[in-house]
Amino acid sequence: MIRGAKKITHSDWGRSYSQMVSDEFFKNFINIISLAFIIFLFVVAVFAPFIANDKPFVIKIDGALKFPLFASLNGVDYSTLLAALVGVVLFLLHRRNIKKVNPSIRGSIWAKQVGVGVVVLIVGITCLLALIPSKLDATDYKSKLKSKEASFAIFPIVPYGFARTNISEREEPPSKKHWFGTDDVGCDVLCRVIHGSRISLSVGFVAVGISGIIGVFIGAIMGYFGGKVDFVLMRFVEIMMAVPVFFLIITIVAFFPRSLLNIMIIIGITGWTGNARFIRAEFLKLRKQDYVQAARALGLPLHSILFKHMLPNGIAPVLVSATFGIAGAIFTEASLSFLGFGVAPPTPSWGQMLSQGVSATGHFLWWMSLFPGIAIFLTAVSYNLVGEGLRDAIDPRLRKAA
Amino acid sequence: MSEVLLEIKDLCVSFDTDDGVVNAVDGVSYQLRKGESVAVVGESGCGKSVTSLSVMRLIPSPPSKVLGGEILLNGENLLEFSEKKMRSIRGNEIAMIFQEPMTSLNPVYTVGEQIVEAIERHQTLKGDAAWTKAVDMLRLVGIADPDIRANEYPHQLSGGMRQRVMIAMALSCDPKLLIADEPTTALDVTIQAQILELLREIQKRNNMSILLITHDLGVVAENADYVVVMYASKIVEKAPVDALFATPAHPYTKGLLASLPILGSDKERLDTIEGSVPDPLNFPSGCKFHPRCSIGCKDKKCQTQEPPLVEDGCGRAVACWHAKL
Repeated sequence: MIRGAKKITHSDWGRSYSQMVSDEFFKNFINIISLAFIIFLFVVAVFAPFIANDKPFVIKIDGALKFPLFASLNGVDYSTLLAALVGVVLFLLHRRNIKKVNPSIRGSIWAKQVGVGVVVLIVGITCLLALIPSKLDATDYKSKLKSKEASFAIFPIVPYGFARTNISEREEPPSKKHWFGTDDVGCDVLCRVIHGSRISLSVGFVAVGISGIIGVFIGAIMGYFGGKVDFVLMRFVEIMMAVPVFFLIITIVAFFPRSLLNIMIIIGITGWTGNARFIRAEFLKLRKQDYVQAARALGLPLHSILFKHMLPNGIAPVLVSATFGIAGAIFTEASLSFLGFGVAPPTPSWGQMLSQGVSATGHFLWWMSLFPGIAIFLTAVSYNLVGEGLRDAIDPRLRKAA
Repeated sequence: MSEVLLEIKDLCVSFDTDDGVVNAVDGVSYQLRKGESVAVVGESGCGKSVTSLSVMRLIPSPPSKVLGGEILLNGENLLEFSEKKMRSIRGNEIAMIFQEPMTSLNPVYTVGEQIVEAIERHQTLKGDAAWTKAVDMLRLVGIADPDIRANEYPHQLSGGMRQRVMIAMALSCDPKLLIADEPTTALDVTIQAQILELLREIQKRNNMSILLITHDLGVVAENADYVVVMYASKIVEKAPVDALFATPAHPYTKGLLASLPILGSDKERLDTIEGSVPDPLNFPSGCKFHPRCSIGCKDKKCQTQEPPLVEDGCGRAVACWHAKL
């Protein structure tokens, strides 16, 4: 008898806890819509250069076909595409595992697949960032088309670049030409909103990833060992919580160069306290559970007890708080950018665009605040709804009470 | 007589609580020979589970502390082992099954996976070989279609099946000592009998010793060779099982036996031991059982002086001023 023998068919397999949670999650229509919107945002963010770009896909200049859009993609664009590809492949593999792979080996196979994915990502991104130079292509292809220099071109749906200024079209309200209007230097707002999604989503994910890892690690140690270890670390958590995080971030940002990575790391290393307390509470409860005692009685090593036997049973509240955390991180980034501490222009960010709603001349340009504002609002609401849906799916008792 | 596998000598364990220090186990000594079953009997909170957890070195510390004594496994003191060495003993030399089969298995892994983890931890078998062994163990404990069951999650199995899985997991590394902490309390009676029968069978096959923690005297009579009766963190009586049931010496043991239902008797009500377990923070003076004892409640000596555990040299011992062996 070997593992995954053919004799056992799919219908014989039990449904794992995560499968039951996901079934419960997808029963609710609002959850589906929120998740769909987040996926839509991800698609937009990944394919932003293909949706909004002032360079055409194809252009015929002097009888020769050129592909300026593809030529202009830099290492970051390719890395984003690679990450999305790895993500989609892993998702499909996971679906396949559930259908085809025996539940007893699913975990180890999935771990291997994720491991390969992470290695591909790290190696790929390092190579892409190192090998692909960032080129500056300032050619105005639209004027070439107008001046009949080029005979034919296919532009993306939003044919404007996020850094392409056009003083003759500045501060225009929404029109057929510029659906979301233009800003004070004549950039298309829709284009900037689309490219701004990259910043918001990546800030949310990386910051929450960092705070999640730190929080889970410290919380696990506090909860499992209890006693003096718990006492000392809990005081540290309380000190961290007493610091007004937003002002700390502003102070730190003032000392370090304004880069997206710095902002992500700072939001991440200040936001772990909530996760740590959640995991601590769960682990305090779990360590008295019989199966944890049984795992200890089997002589399993500490890392296996903590992260293999306890973490999967206690991760649920952290997953829920992570979705809220993503929304929170997006808000924090928007606030920082609004105050001018965010990413440096011309890189677009939603918060920074909000702040440009009042122009230097004192006019209130409503379209410049409204559209990025709606984007922030919808993203945060979707993440919160997904978080709430996840919480209800994980804990059926909450549903009854509601 | 076969050689001694486990010897507990004068074990003292205390708990620090908010209200003060509680002596959960006070000077407990008994031994377990190879292939023998010893039952530890007593009411809830008398220290029987704490003793067994001390053998595994699994008592939570803090709040609990081993104050003194020795726990010798094959002559080596487990209390002096490093945590790392202890981990290689747990599950391998000493295995444990718990009271609640419904919660003793991890809900997120299939039962096969959980047995494989124990096997891979202590044996050289890996991968498919470990899996084959896990399925064999499930077959050994009497689970039908073990290759299908191995791929199921705990919530798909009944209580009796889960307890069988727990036994399979505990036995997967051929331990020399199995600690069974109320292994049948949560099961219904027909399943109880099956599980105990299974344990006996495996014990005979592997020449394994069993330390049976229970409060069910029926289980004791059927399964144990030797009985240790504990009351209020101390041993009150030790005896081979036949002798104990035939001539109980300590009033507490007599009370326990009297409270058993006897099939065919016309008694309307069962006898009970009056009163309740004393508060461990505030044990009575003298013999701890005296407030509930028909002799002790009148005797000055019982109320002021604690009786020592007197051995008779043939394996019996009792701690009572009035008992005669």
